[in-house]
Amino acid sequence: MIPFLVRRLIGAVPVLFGVAVATFFLVRLSGDPTDMILPPTTPEDVRLEFRARYGLDRPLWEQFFFWLGHLLRGDFGDSIRFGQPAGELVWERAGATLELALATLVIALAVGVPAGVAAARARGTVGDAILRVMTLLGQAVPSFYLGVVGIAVFAIWLRWLPSGGRDGIENLVLPATTLAVYFFAIVARVTRSCMLDVLNQDYIRTARAKGLPESAVVWVHALRNALLPVITVVGLQTGFLLGGVVVTETVFSWPGVGRLAIQAIYARDFPVVQAVVVIFAACFVAVNLIVDVLYALLDPRIRLR
Amino acid sequence: MRITRRTALTAVAGLTALPLDARGQSVPRARTLIIAQTFDPSTLWANGTTASDNVNVGACINESLFYVNAATNRTEPLLATELVQENDTRWLIKLRPDVKFTNGEAMDSDAVVHSIRIFADSRLTPAYASYAAPVEGAEKVDALTIRLVTKYPSPTVLLMLSQIYVIPPRYWADVGVNGFGQRPIGTGPFRLTEWQRDNRVVLDRNPDYWGPRPDGFDRVVWRPVPDENARAAGLETGEFDIAASLSVPAAQRLERARNLKILESPSYRVFHLTLSSLSIHPGPIQDRRVRLAMNHAIDKQAIIRNLFAGKARALNGQVLRREQQGFDPSLQDYVFDLARARALLAEAGFPNGFETVLKTPSGRFPQDREVAEACVGMLARVGIRCRLETLESGEYLRQLRTRELAPVALIGLAPPDDPDFQVGQYRSDWRYSYVQSAEFDRLIDVARREMNPEARAGYYRELMRAMHAEVPLVWLYQGVDLHGTAARVSGFAPRGDGRLPLYGVKMAART
Repeated sequence: MIPFLVRRLIGAVPVLFGVAVATFFLVRLSGDPTDMILPPTTPEDVRLEFRARYGLDRPLWEQFFFWLGHLLRGDFGDSIRFGQPAGELVWERAGATLELALATLVIALAVGVPAGVAAARARGTVGDAILRVMTLLGQAVPSFYLGVVGIAVFAIWLRWLPSGGRDGIENLVLPATTLAVYFFAIVARVTRSCMLDVLNQDYIRTARAKGLPESAVVWVHALRNALLPVITVVGLQTGFLLGGVVVTETVFSWPGVGRLAIQAIYARDFPVVQAVVVIFAACFVAVNLIVDVLYALLDPRIRLR
Repeated sequence: MRITRRTALTAVAGLTALPLDARGQSVPRARTLIIAQTFDPSTLWANGTTASDNVNVGACINESLFYVNAATNRTEPLLATELVQENDTRWLIKLRPDVKFTNGEAMDSDAVVHSIRIFADSRLTPAYASYAAPVEGAEKVDALTIRLVTKYPSPTVLLMLSQIYVIPPRYWADVGVNGFGQRPIGTGPFRLTEWQRDNRVVLDRNPDYWGPRPDGFDRVVWRPVPDENARAAGLETGEFDIAASLSVPAAQRLERARNLKILESPSYRVFHLTLSSLSIHPGPIQDRRVRLAMNHAIDKQAIIRNLFAGKARALNGQVLRREQQGFDPSLQDYVFDLARARALLAEAGFPNGFETVLKTPSGRFPQDREVAEACVGMLARVGIRCRLETLESGEYLRQLRTRELAPVALIGLAPPDDPDFQVGQYRSDWRYSYVQSAEFDRLIDVARREMNPEARAGYYRELMRAMHAEVPLVWLYQGVDLHGTAARVSGFAPRGDGRLPLYGVKMAART
């Protein structure tokens, strides 16, 4: 296991470097941030001085190597909008995004897995059909729309939950549930599909023949094998989760990295955009590594080399 | 240690049960005024940027020498009590006595001279460079008197002084500009308690404030809520006491609520179609008759009525707002008259119209794309066939600056509230002026240095008439900002530049 982990970590370095370089050039295609940050009435000499301060007047190749040198020291540069280190701005908000992402996964798994199991056991019934329709809707309905509807119903009409912000656990319910709908759909569908496959296996027939309770057959023997692809799918969907977080954080005024990223993109705050993308990429790499490790832990036939 | 499957699974379970960070207790609602605005400040130093979201919060902590009271439309004393003009370029500023910063430093001449020096340093305050342009320097006369020296006669001195937020010099030296922007110290009615980035800024009453105690609230919480629907929702549910910048549909819906009020604040932002008559943009629009025809072809009242539910103001054929010095009440906009428009086009040699391009931003201003689409449709009725080009905000600003927003473009500008800033955008050498007129330039220049208010107003009225005759634009409308408050909030007077001063705001007890 250890050599595998070391190899994967070493392999992540060129991946992240490639992401950083690509982001550096892509974000600069969006234009000059000076116009977004300074008012239109700013005198030209002040504009030029501002551009010089942030190196925006230098040739692109010179900006690149200057930035690369700092990146290799772990320095993403200073935010053009805030004047603070970009990395610091991201880490300030990382906790909020992590909280939202984890809550989303917990809800999606806690609801999706049992729903998928139940649907598999009740295959062909009305309950199975209802779940399949729900999963279809869950994947089709945009999270932005769900969020607005959620605010309208639970905050304005019922007054059960706040409309946004991050003050207490009640503020987490709507945004996490909104995001979880899509992942619930994925988890439920994959779980159902895998359970249907597993429940037809010989070892399940053997377990039943041995007289094991049906609950043990389903929840201990069948589910454990069915979960392996579910874990893989959840890991692969992490990227979509991070993307969904961006929209949801804006709708619910959740103070996370996604909202910071949106504002940085609109303001052409290059250092912050770069920091967010690289850190998100690192999270994606880390999650995939965790999925691989979990896979090996859950399936003794798999040896990580 | 050998990592077994069980230990690894336990570690994973522990990771997924990360403790929620300590948010502390929710802000208590009793005697707390909660305000939702669009963005979180990027700095709490009020002179860090001109963005209203920043200044709204920072100005609760640091005060300016004078301030523009939207309720009276007058510039009133604040930390300064009097401004005395010695001559065209020298001014004496008298300060309010016995005022201290919350760290104990005195608000005196040293602090104000220091603040003016910082304000005039374009490396520190690039966003205020246009305000600070006339400043030569400031010197201490005595403990409570400063002499301000300008480079040239400038009638905008009072406006400039309303933008200078006084800062404590020793504390500034200790923490620097970035440190001050994180934890400012001021003389204002409130002081910073907590700043959770992108979540809330909590300000508590300054017990040593020199002025009147805030009426009905001891705490102000500023909430950044980017989504306008969420701001409206929070106001409706009682989470917010004030919600800034509401959309027209949200305001119309909330107007019907008994426990809410909607305030309309005429914006400083005026909208028009700029018609480039520059030689680098040859085409039909060079002809004044074509520009006049376009004004007759567009039904501005229909745009105001249908796209803004009447919540916008006609421009009366001039770029100065009716509250501004130099507005000519005798001028009227060109009436909607399709027949007249067609006749003018025929006279100009375009009986069948012509093709052109109309550029617009999308989402930068309320209903900007819809307004542009309406104009395209109206112009088409007289044969002017516009290809609509929608631009992302950054590209729009780039083209504005490089004079590429041509031949026709929707422009909405909100310069500082002085006629010179407004009309200066039409001077030939201004980097995004699409007009070249020696007459406009002459009037702009002479008004810029005229210290007599009546004479100055006369020059601007003359300029408005000249522009009206030359028709460099299609005048459209002046925006109206919509804000919502709980019924228990009174005295709230938002300004047209988006600033939300809390002086005079009262909040009744919850029932």
